[in-house]
Amino acid sequence: MPRTMRHILVALVPVAAMALLPLVYSNQLLLFNFVVFMILAQGINVIYGFTGYLPFGYFGFFGAGAYGFAISIMHLRMTPLPALGMAAIAAVVLALVLVPLFRLSGAYFAIANLAAGLAVYQVVSNPSLDNITKGPYGISLPAVFDPNFSYGIALVLLAATMMTVIYLRNSKFGLSLQAIRDDAVSAAMAGVNVVRLRVMAWLLSAVIAGLVGGVFAWYISVFYPQTVFSLDFSIFAIVFALFGGMTTILGPIIGVVILYGIYNLIGISTPQYFELVYGLLIMGLVLFQPNGVVALFKRWGIDVP
Amino acid sequence: MLGYTILAGLLFGLYFSLVGLGLNLVFGVVRIVNLAHGDFLMLGAFSAYWLFSLFAVSPFISVVLVFVGFSIIAWPLYYLLVPRLMATKDPEMLSLILFFGFSQVIEALATIAFGTSDRSIPGRALHMGPCRLFGQNYPASWIVGAVVSAAAVLFIYLYLYHTTKGYLSRAVMAHREEAVASGINVNRVCAIAFSIGVGLAAAAGVFAPFIFGSINPAMGVNITITSLTVIVVGSLGNPLGTVLGGLTYGISLMFMQTYFSSWANLLAYVMLILILLIRPSGLLGRSVRYA
Amino acid sequence: MAMRKIFFIFFVASLVAVACRAGATEVPKQIKIGTLYASSGTFAPLSMPVHYGLKLWVDRMNAEGGVYIKAYGKRIPIKLISYDDQSNTATAASLYDQLITQDKVNILIADAGSVLTSVALPIAREHKMLLIDPIGIGAPFFTPDSPYIVLIGGPVSTIWCKNIHEFITDEGPKLGIKRVAILYSTNDFTGTQANTIRKAIEKSRTGIKVVYDQGVPTSTTSYTVIINGIKAAKPDAVIELGYPINDISFLRNLRESGVKFKWLFTSYPGMETEHFEKTVGVKGLYYVYTDMPASIMNYKAAFGMSLPEFHAAWNKQYPGGKVGFDFNSVVGYTTGLVLEKALGSAASMDQLALRQAIVGLSGKLKTLDGTFAVDPKTGAQIGETMPIGQILPSGKDGIKLIVVYPKQLATGKLVYPAP
Repeated sequence: MPRTMRHILVALVPVAAMALLPLVYSNQLLLFNFVVFMILAQGINVIYGFTGYLPFGYFGFFGAGAYGFAISIMHLRMTPLPALGMAAIAAVVLALVLVPLFRLSGAYFAIANLAAGLAVYQVVSNPSLDNITKGPYGISLPAVFDPNFSYGIALVLLAATMMTVIYLRNSKFGLSLQAIRDDAVSAAMAGVNVVRLRVMAWLLSAVIAGLVGGVFAWYISVFYPQTVFSLDFSIFAIVFALFGGMTTILGPIIGVVILYGIYNLIGISTPQYFELVYGLLIMGLVLFQPNGVVALFKRWGIDVP
Repeated sequence: MLGYTILAGLLFGLYFSLVGLGLNLVFGVVRIVNLAHGDFLMLGAFSAYWLFSLFAVSPFISVVLVFVGFSIIAWPLYYLLVPRLMATKDPEMLSLILFFGFSQVIEALATIAFGTSDRSIPGRALHMGPCRLFGQNYPASWIVGAVVSAAAVLFIYLYLYHTTKGYLSRAVMAHREEAVASGINVNRVCAIAFSIGVGLAAAAGVFAPFIFGSINPAMGVNITITSLTVIVVGSLGNPLGTVLGGLTYGISLMFMQTYFSSWANLLAYVMLILILLIRPSGLLGRSVRYA
Repeated sequence: MAMRKIFFIFFVASLVAVACRAGATEVPKQIKIGTLYASSGTFAPLSMPVHYGLKLWVDRMNAEGGVYIKAYGKRIPIKLISYDDQSNTATAASLYDQLITQDKVNILIADAGSVLTSVALPIAREHKMLLIDPIGIGAPFFTPDSPYIVLIGGPVSTIWCKNIHEFITDEGPKLGIKRVAILYSTNDFTGTQANTIRKAIEKSRTGIKVVYDQGVPTSTTSYTVIINGIKAAKPDAVIELGYPINDISFLRNLRESGVKFKWLFTSYPGMETEHFEKTVGVKGLYYVYTDMPASIMNYKAAFGMSLPEFHAAWNKQYPGGKVGFDFNSVVGYTTGLVLEKALGSAASMDQLALRQAIVGLSGKLKTLDGTFAVDPKTGAQIGETMPIGQILPSGKDGIKLIVVYPKQLATGKLVYPAP
């Protein structure tokens, strides 16, 4: 069986699992959060895993998507599916504005990206924009509230994101990206258009975050600016992806299942030590398993794509 | 009004130079982003609070105690965390995540120990009324913060430019690989910088109850973000750059507060992005940041 | 075919009958109350006192053998299931769902504050659970299209500040207040108040002008140049609306910069008096006007502990001051008391019957938090409005709070302008 085909089959496992779980487990919102973080972690994978740029302000795209969706529903009277298209557009526009950040390297990019996310939050939540974004007063979209439908769309999005990562793993585009990440100068000399490819990966990862932000807004339907422009979304997604293993197909998914699973278990069993245990977990991850659990599996001889 | 705004911005900004100074030193020398910086400041603030409430220790004495105490604590912390981090593929990026985790741990422990209530030290602890400068009143705490900050900057400047260890620190800052090759004990130099950096963060925290009005265990994140703005706007590794960054931040924040107050926080972020893009080396820096 | 149909109908009918009987006779061993709190993060200072207040009520009920439930005709012990959302909304959302779908709680109580309450709204509605909302006062939550929410602990944001603008428009002209400055933090809670006050003043035809009207980000903790800007607008009255950290910084900066306003209102010194005495200092509170919440007013509650008793019980149960006693403590405790009254009168444990019982208490129930009144159409709290008080010096280093508005509640004469 060709590699790509095998990858696609493997990728369908989490999607199918998340589709079937609501039948046996009724906390659909928890499952929905799992799907959201799986998609976000894969979005981080696309940009951080394949280009080495750490998008600390990734939540900016998520929030832009959520507000793109909400504004399209409120002001343009759209139905949810076209509004999701607007969510993606909002994220792409933001990503294009931020393209110059790629001139920066390392931590500078991460910090500047964080500042950008916070800047968007400051704009969206400003009371002067009450007429457009409802400023700090929050969004309510009861008319389109439909948890089952939006959960289904989130699954479709998860499948699409998985396919994107598979494409990156198995295409010349993805290989070129990794070449740039490892040594941009040599890649450029070998004839790779560094700027264009990076920007494409950037837009791809922004679209993913924008769409999932839109679905999130649709599913929860009542939210404040600080709900969607929350640094937690960036941090969680980065940690999950890193924990599983970057540039792999299943790594980020495994990361979400294990870490977000633990997160919820601690949250329900011993909430008083929740933040402490979580912080220690993150530190342990970086110090002892910085290449993710997939690398650990490989060492044990189990091949996880 | 404009004059008042500018002078207030200078004083306030000078305090923020102190807030950013430690972070700058750590980034410059160790090449890691200490995202727990603001949490060390919070711990320093709580130390000053407890020293004052239990033993009536004046903030002017606690600032020294806190600086020394936290520098000592930071020493083993460095050896516990950083060498392992440096062994990974991409320490600069991973430091963001490691120290984010650490900041969570600190915040969690502080919450367990101190609870969630806001606390503060009464303004009378500084033994001063409002200070008059050029015919207008400014809070005493701002003047004190500015003076302490100036002293700290001077201290760092003397350390970097007039001691052997400081000289080595600058060597590591400029060319890490060459410093290693020429036999400098880079780890030791970095550990010293880390200790001083953490000590400075905690020392800045001593005045936080006065400058911010109150303190609580969750305050660290915002402080870290502001500090990042200050040090990026200035430039890395140069204590005078941090002063310039702090002043720029202070004046522009006060300016926005006076004229467009609801947008006040936006300016800092926009400024950070613009300065990175237009002058990537910061206002006073060498060019090191391009990809 | 017909036989089958008849049989089927008979079958269904008997099932229903069995189910009904089971429902009527089966008395649960305990009643499950589910709630969330935030032990860390932005909302912790607001959330923890409310949660502890509720917990205190639960403990007292259980010490008496449980809460009396009319539907079962006896006392039933309470099992409080509470999770920590860490001020994170996504976590809060899945934990609300957890409470409903996995723990199958009988009663759902929201976390404190509008942001953490907001995410519970659609979930409660979808599962047809009544959301008992202690103090999520955001006006958009309360619409006639959903019965599944009821606000217990404080008035909805649009009338929260009713007495402030009524004071300005009623008493202002008599005192000579002509110019008003409004400074607010740009969040839902204080932004809505500022909008309401501004509109009310403009509509009042008293000739009073708003000469300064600015929002600042909620994270603002330095007010020196803003105070200078307000001073330059020469207002007779200044209204500063913020969260506690904003109010503390504002008052400290004001005192430190030596500026004095003739009339200054801020919300929280009244709600968290002890806390403000410690953080701002007594002198910084002199002559400030403030909300007079339940934690000071000492309303005669119809049942439960009186305010001093409650305060003493609080200090006994939560020593060390990690979670201070304030208005929100009263909110948490009152939420429990209202629930107690409603369970004691609701005909069944059905969610809407419970809502009806709570709404039925409107106007009749005197709580520690003032007179309880819920708008039956929307579930918004329209009672429990807070009078305006002024903080006056008392003795050498003390303060006392007097009520100055509404007039019929006044306990002293206000001092204007502040010396």
